[in-house]
Amino acid sequence: MNKNNTQTNSFSLSNDKVSATILLVPALIFCTIFIFIPAIGTIVGSFYSYSLTSMNNWKWVGFGNYVKATQDEYFWVALKNNFIIVFASIVLQVGVGTILAAILDRGITHGKIIFRTIIFTPMVISSVAVSLIWLIIYDPNVGILNAIFKSVGLSTPSKGWLGDPDISIWMIMITAAWQNTGFMMVLILAGLQGVSKEVYDAAEIDGATGVKAFWYITLPMIRNVLIVAILITTIGAFKVFEFIFVFTQGGPSNATQVLGTYIYLQAFNLLHMGYANALSVILLIIALFLGWLQLKSSRKA
Amino acid sequence: MSRFKLANIIAYGFVTLFSIYVLMPILVMVLTTFKSKREIFLEPLGIPSQFGISSFEKALSVGLGSFMLNSFIVSFFAVFLIVTISGMAAYVLSRIDFKINKFVYLLIVAGFAIPPAAVLVPLYTMVSNLNLLNSLFGVIMPLTAFGIPFTVILFYAFFLDFPKEVEEAATIDGCTKLQIFFRIIVPLSGPVIASAAIFQTVWIWNEFLLALIMLTSDDFKTLPIGLLKLRGEWTSDWGAIMAGLTIAVIPVLIVFLIFQKYFVRSLAGLGK
Repeated sequence: MNKNNTQTNSFSLSNDKVSATILLVPALIFCTIFIFIPAIGTIVGSFYSYSLTSMNNWKWVGFGNYVKATQDEYFWVALKNNFIIVFASIVLQVGVGTILAAILDRGITHGKIIFRTIIFTPMVISSVAVSLIWLIIYDPNVGILNAIFKSVGLSTPSKGWLGDPDISIWMIMITAAWQNTGFMMVLILAGLQGVSKEVYDAAEIDGATGVKAFWYITLPMIRNVLIVAILITTIGAFKVFEFIFVFTQGGPSNATQVLGTYIYLQAFNLLHMGYANALSVILLIIALFLGWLQLKSSRKA
Repeated sequence: MSRFKLANIIAYGFVTLFSIYVLMPILVMVLTTFKSKREIFLEPLGIPSQFGISSFEKALSVGLGSFMLNSFIVSFFAVFLIVTISGMAAYVLSRIDFKINKFVYLLIVAGFAIPPAAVLVPLYTMVSNLNLLNSLFGVIMPLTAFGIPFTVILFYAFFLDFPKEVEEAATIDGCTKLQIFFRIIVPLSGPVIASAAIFQTVWIWNEFLLALIMLTSDDFKTLPIGLLKLRGEWTSDWGAIMAGLTIAVIPVLIVFLIFQKYFVRSLAGLGK
């Protein structure tokens, strides 16, 4: 390179810096104002006691809100429900999604796209609409679930499908699985399609076909996709809100609360803003931890 | 041979059963819309004897049309902003070696991880202090912010695989990065822009929590919040509720069926 060229380069480099900054800054401004500053606000606010109506009347309480959380029975119920939803979602959505993906990949020859389209469809419907549709299915008077149970002579729960928290948490899971399993299926299917045909041919020579080949050869090969699927499901399970908000409002007596709905209740119904912030910080820590795990796993992939 | 057939029957049986599980609620929604009140109570499993449209009239009387218009405005502007801003940022991250780039990318990933519920109170306070509660602008701005991180990650992966020869030629011709981005990169990024736009449209169209706290006046409610009003208004008139849901859901389903190729592509890209 001659001298002249170097000069042009350094000129265009500074020019690049200007245009690069112009391109990068809007994204940073938006994320800073509406995500990072509120995140810091949540942390700061969690050390105060204040309410929505007396915005200027903040009282320093130190770790008081966190101590309150550890003694709050309903906070633990909400956290426990989130973990139940995480576990059940992984089994129902990732597990069944994997089976469906495997069948669509190699198990059937006809109608692959039709099945894939049908099963994925609920993903585009808003969770509120999904909840309302399932509300009529679970309804004790007009619901088809009761009608089906009665028509085959089975008894139905006396408090209705959503009145007893031991049952309603599972009804929430069935609805969540209805909406999200197709998403997991599509994600895992993309991973399966990356597995080359030769691998299966080689496996067949070694005597591994069908379910056996799937278990011992395919699953280990799509390990990374499965990890991503499990992480996305876990993150989704901590964000769950609409199903519970529409089905039970967290009741009866807070038995079906999750962190999201409990934060909403504390902030906007009870106006305990400081306490809601402390609960939010706990959610924030869980979310960032899961995000960090996702980053680590996607780098490996 | 017979073992092979059995496996085949099980495979088809499983996906067929699952498809029925997926389709049945949608069928219930549509059929209930046309049933009379009497039929809804007496024959939950039956099909309607006539196709009455009175339920649609009740649903529309709640203001579903204006909720839909609000959703359309919010989705349009937020998605436009998200795709433009994210595309620009992702391009810089994938091309220029700023020392802070790694830090910026980490910030973006952190932003992706933070759910709206974790910043609910300060966000509400901020929008309230700016006097933007009950305004579409007040929801568009934070929704845009929450849509950016995922979209940046999506574009970033696409730009990394983008052939660099064309850009190098343009650089020699004296184009700045800004010109290269808008004249060369954008016109060649159709598929990823489509994927990002469709994915974000579905997300914004369906977003609930932020709209719930920001939009309390009927004039500004988006569709998901409006659907709750529908239920409040017609408590046990399931025909009216299901009619409202049908109006809200069917357009999205049609859009999905037309563009499903792009959906699948953008979601499949997540695992890579």
